[in-house]
Amino acid sequence: MTLPSASARPTSPLPDRDQPGAVELAGVEKTFANGTRALAALDLAIAPGELVSFVGPSGCGKSTVFRLIAGLAEPTAGSVTVMGADPRAARRAGGVAYVFQDATLLPWATVRDNVALPLTLRRVARRERRAAAERALELVGLADHGRDLPRQLSGGMRMRVSIARALVARPRLLLMDEPFGALDEMTRQALQDELLEIWRREAGTTVLFVTHNVFEAAFLSTRVVVLSPRPGRVVADLAAPHTAPRDDAFRATPAFAGLVGEISAALRHGGGA
Amino acid sequence: MTVARRLLPPLLLLAAVLALWQAICDWGDVAPYVVPSPSDIWTAVREHRADLLTSLWTTTREAALAFAVSGVAGVAGAVALSSSRVVERSVYPYAILLQTIPIVATAPIIIIWFGATTTAVVVIASIMAFFPVLSNTLVGLRATDRRLEELFELYDAGRLQALARLRLPAALPYVVAGLRISSTLSVIGAIVGEYIAGIGGGEAGLGFAITQSAIRLETPYLFAAAITSSILGIAFFQLVKALSRRLLGSWHESELAFER
Repeated sequence: MTLPSASARPTSPLPDRDQPGAVELAGVEKTFANGTRALAALDLAIAPGELVSFVGPSGCGKSTVFRLIAGLAEPTAGSVTVMGADPRAARRAGGVAYVFQDATLLPWATVRDNVALPLTLRRVARRERRAAAERALELVGLADHGRDLPRQLSGGMRMRVSIARALVARPRLLLMDEPFGALDEMTRQALQDELLEIWRREAGTTVLFVTHNVFEAAFLSTRVVVLSPRPGRVVADLAAPHTAPRDDAFRATPAFAGLVGEISAALRHGGGA
Repeated sequence: MTVARRLLPPLLLLAAVLALWQAICDWGDVAPYVVPSPSDIWTAVREHRADLLTSLWTTTREAALAFAVSGVAGVAGAVALSSSRVVERSVYPYAILLQTIPIVATAPIIIIWFGATTTAVVVIASIMAFFPVLSNTLVGLRATDRRLEELFELYDAGRLQALARLRLPAALPYVVAGLRISSTLSVIGAIVGEYIAGIGGGEAGLGFAITQSAIRLETPYLFAAAITSSILGIAFFQLVKALSRRLLGSWHESELAFER
C-alpha cells in the first residue's frame, strides 16, 4: 500500500497561516468544584501545523488545558477556541483526537477494531472503516498486527495502536497527554522519531504534547510552553523551529543542549522541577 | 496436564469411598432405610428408571427456563438500574430486601398466585437465581474504565453505543460470574419449588421424588434422586463455565492460561 501524499486530503484542506489559529485560549481560568484553582488567566495562541510541548511540574494543570481544548470540561472564565469554533463543535466535526498516557484500548477487540473505533462510533461504512484502519496501522508500523488482541502486544506497540486510533479520522489537532511517559527510553525514542515522521507526512496537523521530560520536549517541539505550578500560567514560551533535521544527531548538537538548558531554567524560575 | 491425569485422582478416591461404604453396609448390618449401600442405590435407580428420567427431564426444563429468565431479567434490570443514580438508589434497596425473604416463605405465596403448576416452579427458581446476576452485572457496569468512558465521550458516542460497545462487554466477566452462581441456584430453586408445590404424576420433578421417597422411607431412591439433582447442578455449572471460556477466553484474565 502506498501512502497518500499530503495533497490527497480532500476532507481537510491544508490550513494556512492566515486561517484562524488551531487553538486560542484567552484569559482562561479553571477552578474545580472543590475550590482548587487549576489555571489562572491563561493566554495562548497556537497556529496550525505547530508541534507544541507543554512542560511543567506535576499537577500544574497541563491535563486540564487539554480537557478544555477537547471540550471535555468548561472553563470557569475566559474563552477556548479550536479551529475558529467552539471546542465541542470542533470535536464533533472530527477534527480533534486525543492520546492518553495509557493506551486505553478495548481488551476484547482486535487491534484493527480498536483503531477503527472512532469511525465505528460515527457510523462510517465498514469498508471505509477498514481501509482507514489499515492505513493508520501502516503509519505506525503495525500493518501485520491488525488481527492481534491488545494483550498480545508490548507496551510500546499498544501505544502505537493508540496513536493509530487517534490518526484514523485524520484529525487536524492531535492532543497527546504524556503518551510516552510509561515507556522505556529505547521505545520512547523510537516513538518520538515516528511521531515526527507522522507529523511531517500529515502536513498541517497541529500536535499538542504534554510531557515531564525536558529532553523529549526539546527534541520534538517547534515550540515549548513552560507552565508554573498550580494555578497554572505560562512561565516561558520558547520557539524551537526545526532548522536542522530532528534525528539522533540532533541530540548531540549545541542547539539541543541550549534548548534543554532554557527549558530547565524556565522550570526552575517558575518554581517547578 | 491431560484430562486422564487430572480426573484419575478424584475418580480413585470415589472408588475407594464407594468400596468402603459398601463394605460397612454389608458387614455392619445397617438397615437400607437408614443408610443404603451403593448397590442398594443402584438397584433403586434401575427399578425407578422411568420415574427418575421423567423427574430429571421436568426439573431440567424448569431449571433451564428459570436460568434463562433470571439471566435476561438480571442483566436487563442491572442496565435499567445503572441508567441513573436516582433510580439505582431508590430501587436497589428493595431488590436486596426481596432477596432476604426466605424462599420457603416466598414459594407458598407464588403457589397461591400461580397454582401448583410448573409455571409457579419456574417463577420460584427464577426469583432465587435472579439476584446474583443483577448484583454482579451492576458492579460490572459501574466498574467501566473511566479513561475508556472519556474516550467514548470524546468521539461523541451515544448512550446506546457506549452500552453496547463499552459498558456491556466490560461488564461481561461480572455477568458470567453472576451466571455461574445462578446456574446452580436455578436447579436448587426448581427442586425447592417442586418440593413445596408437590406436583406429582407425569409432571413430577426431582423435588417431588425426594419428598415422596422420604415420606415412604424409600431411602435408596431418596439418595438416587439427591445424587441426580447434584449431577444436574454440576452439568449446569459446567455449561456456564464452557460459555465463559468462549466469551472471555481470548481476552480476560480470569480465563487466560498462565503461560505468557
